[in-house]
Amino acid sequence: MKKVAIVGAGQSRYGDFPDKGIKELFFEAYKDMKASVDKGLDPKAIESAYIGNLGSGGFQLGNMSALVTEYCGLTHINTMRIENACASGGYALVAAVMDVMSGTHKAVLAGGVEKMTDVSGVKQKYWLGVSGDTEYERLAGTTFSGLYALIAQRHMHDFGTKREHLSMVAVKNHKNGAQNPKAQFQREITLEQAIKGPIVASPLNLFDCCSTTDGASAVLVCDAEIAKQYTDTPVYVAGFGTASDFLAIHDRPDTTTLEGTRRAGEMAYKMSGLTPKDIQLAEVHDCFTIAELLAYEDLGFCEKGKAGPFIEQGHTQIGGDKPVNASGGLKSKGHPIGSTGTGMAYEMFNQLRGSVQKPTRQIKGAEIGLIHNVGGSGGTVAVTIMRR
Amino acid sequence: MAIGISGYSAYIPRLRIKKEDYAKAWGSFSAAGVAEKSVMGFDEDVLTAAAKVSKRALESVPMAPDKVTRFAFASTSPPYFEKLLSGTVLYSVGMPNSAFSSDHTTSTRAGTEAMIAGFEHISANQTGMAVVVAADAPSASMWDSVEHALGAGAAAFVLSADNLVAELEGHASYASEYFGERFRPRGNPYLHDLNVKKYAEGSLITNTTRAANALLKSLNRKPEEYQHVVIQQPDARVPTTVASRLGFTDAQLASSLVSKSLGDLGAASVPVALAAALDVAKVGDQIMVISYGSGAGSDALSFKVVSDRKAPVKVQAEMDRKEYIDYVKYLKIKGAIV
Amino acid sequence: MYWRTIPQRYKMIGQKCKKCGAINFPPKGVCKYCQTSSEFEEIQLSGRGKVHTFVLISAGGAPPEFAEQEKAGGQYPVAIVQLEEGPKVIGQIADVDPKEVKIDMPVKAELRKIYTEEEVIRYGFKFVPG
Repeated sequence: MKKVAIVGAGQSRYGDFPDKGIKELFFEAYKDMKASVDKGLDPKAIESAYIGNLGSGGFQLGNMSALVTEYCGLTHINTMRIENACASGGYALVAAVMDVMSGTHKAVLAGGVEKMTDVSGVKQKYWLGVSGDTEYERLAGTTFSGLYALIAQRHMHDFGTKREHLSMVAVKNHKNGAQNPKAQFQREITLEQAIKGPIVASPLNLFDCCSTTDGASAVLVCDAEIAKQYTDTPVYVAGFGTASDFLAIHDRPDTTTLEGTRRAGEMAYKMSGLTPKDIQLAEVHDCFTIAELLAYEDLGFCEKGKAGPFIEQGHTQIGGDKPVNASGGLKSKGHPIGSTGTGMAYEMFNQLRGSVQKPTRQIKGAEIGLIHNVGGSGGTVAVTIMRR
Repeated sequence: MAIGISGYSAYIPRLRIKKEDYAKAWGSFSAAGVAEKSVMGFDEDVLTAAAKVSKRALESVPMAPDKVTRFAFASTSPPYFEKLLSGTVLYSVGMPNSAFSSDHTTSTRAGTEAMIAGFEHISANQTGMAVVVAADAPSASMWDSVEHALGAGAAAFVLSADNLVAELEGHASYASEYFGERFRPRGNPYLHDLNVKKYAEGSLITNTTRAANALLKSLNRKPEEYQHVVIQQPDARVPTTVASRLGFTDAQLASSLVSKSLGDLGAASVPVALAAALDVAKVGDQIMVISYGSGAGSDALSFKVVSDRKAPVKVQAEMDRKEYIDYVKYLKIKGAIV
Repeated sequence: MYWRTIPQRYKMIGQKCKKCGAINFPPKGVCKYCQTSSEFEEIQLSGRGKVHTFVLISAGGAPPEFAEQEKAGGQYPVAIVQLEEGPKVIGQIADVDPKEVKIDMPVKAELRKIYTEEEVIRYGFKFVPG
């Protein structure tokens, strides 16, 4: 099987952009990606494109991948939309990697785009609360904040995780996001603010939840044999893993473990020959603060039940021994559903090449990083390990 | 062969509003003798209440729910004006789909209509088993003083020829034409009353006394031979008026006067009050039951208590289980403001 | 479509796996415990269980179908309930002060209005203390 490299990555600004639709957002990310290819990219080299997307703003549910790629000038290629809820982007990347590995195509685009702010608040919830088990979870009166709150409540009960531990995730990620010019919320918050946020789904408050975001991202994946045609400093895909789980949390034997994360992580570690200890930095799926704590445990960064103390001890801050979400994470950078996974790849590409826009959040000398993208409350999970 | 009530139970939603809260909002409270009343929760209606209380009543009898051959549902406040209502309850409680079911609505007499329909079924099919449930939560415009009394409650009875708690001694009815008192025109969700007081009282007295006196006569009974009398309770004064016109005393009314703390339970008024009387009745006690529905009609039923088996949950316990809400919360729950 | 789930929502009809004997609820195509058998017998669940975990849903956390309920009644509890027959299931807890909801609290199911859409009332089980 072919070895796979990433030779370019781009991201649009994340935020609320009434003047941009999915085409324009995706084009912005594409142009950014193109500009990042050190030795230049002839678009004709791109033979295939996988686009992560959930709702297309509610208006282009069919054939959206053809639409956004032809807008960028990419016609007559292999393209498809990849939908696995919030993990759509992560799976689009994995699909592109498998495409290259198999030898089918040599240069493949993996991207994602979401337009979430075109509809009223009520309509937004209609298509957002649809990636859990809608039949039971949504119709019991929950959206994702409620589902993650169910996990958080039990985690607190079983392991003594504290309200403060949740808020520490928000504070850390906002601190990082304040240094990311492409983040939706570029401002720091205090621990007190984070603790006292208005309740959304107790125990989760507003500062435990990520926002709704417009945005897009794109990375160029290619056969490692030709990577040097594009750049002298490619980033290699060392391993990846994907795993599904019972969609409804009530069906899972263990409420406080995302088994999808655990298994996807195991696969990725096995494929790369690496262990959690080898991971120098990570971008994990912090759609809610509890989700980042779960990721520490399920990816093996700390022991089961110890995520609270793990963040409290500062391991995951920039400057700690395992910085997590130096980009600001979903919490501060924003969470444009379909784009989130490839947006993580964009961040990791730059971290490993030392090319992060603002050097204050550059993890110096990082060689091995992991990205972790969760669909819904863990129904699907994609993990990719990248190394310089 | 004797037929009667083999099991019974009541259900009262746990929310209450006090008369003082009405007085604060409107300056007065126009439900005579009512101190507080019960209110259904936002996620309840007469069908959910009927399901709950039917299940309770069935659990109190030594007969299996799959033996039910007749189901009758009564309410003046159904969630749909067209759609079978009894099917929802019958199915959710686990009664056979093949049981004949009927919906009784359009007047507060519906509760006893359903009971008599159930008894007629048992008289004709001695091996049968009927479940009769009345659940109600009437609504009126908040601007209308008739709204003040309106409460919520439910009671269910299992009727058969076996394992009797109270034997049916007889029943009688009287119906006639009166209009303008407590009615809901087509398309109007709220009940209405032209408020012609003496005329309305005339209808009440005429219909109830004729039904009751016919029954007393057929049983060759006098009012004083009864330990309990159960009378329709649109408020807490009407039953005393009817009782005294018939020759019953306040003491005979006392065991069943639930409207003081629950308000007007509509079609469930007499059924809940009967459950309250059964809760405290001794073996050998006789109970006279008199319903009234505007429009107008009345049913009278006479029971003799033959067993000291009681409901699994007593009406008093249901009345004691409560949480008070203020008038604003009441308006929100009733859908007057959202 | 909501109608298809009526046996679960109105009566809590579960599936007993004919191979491993475990109870599935809500129903599965293949038993979620042994993951081999798809032969089941229908069983009526008792509706009794205890709270495994819970959340109190406030304004921003309610799906549109439940927005009115939240507005009328304030925050409402949703729990995953460990049923006495084995499976866990999600459902609202009614007739309770949200502050009183606790993990391991005993509850039992009863029929309630879940939500209303296009003037059609959707009934189903909720849990109440007891």
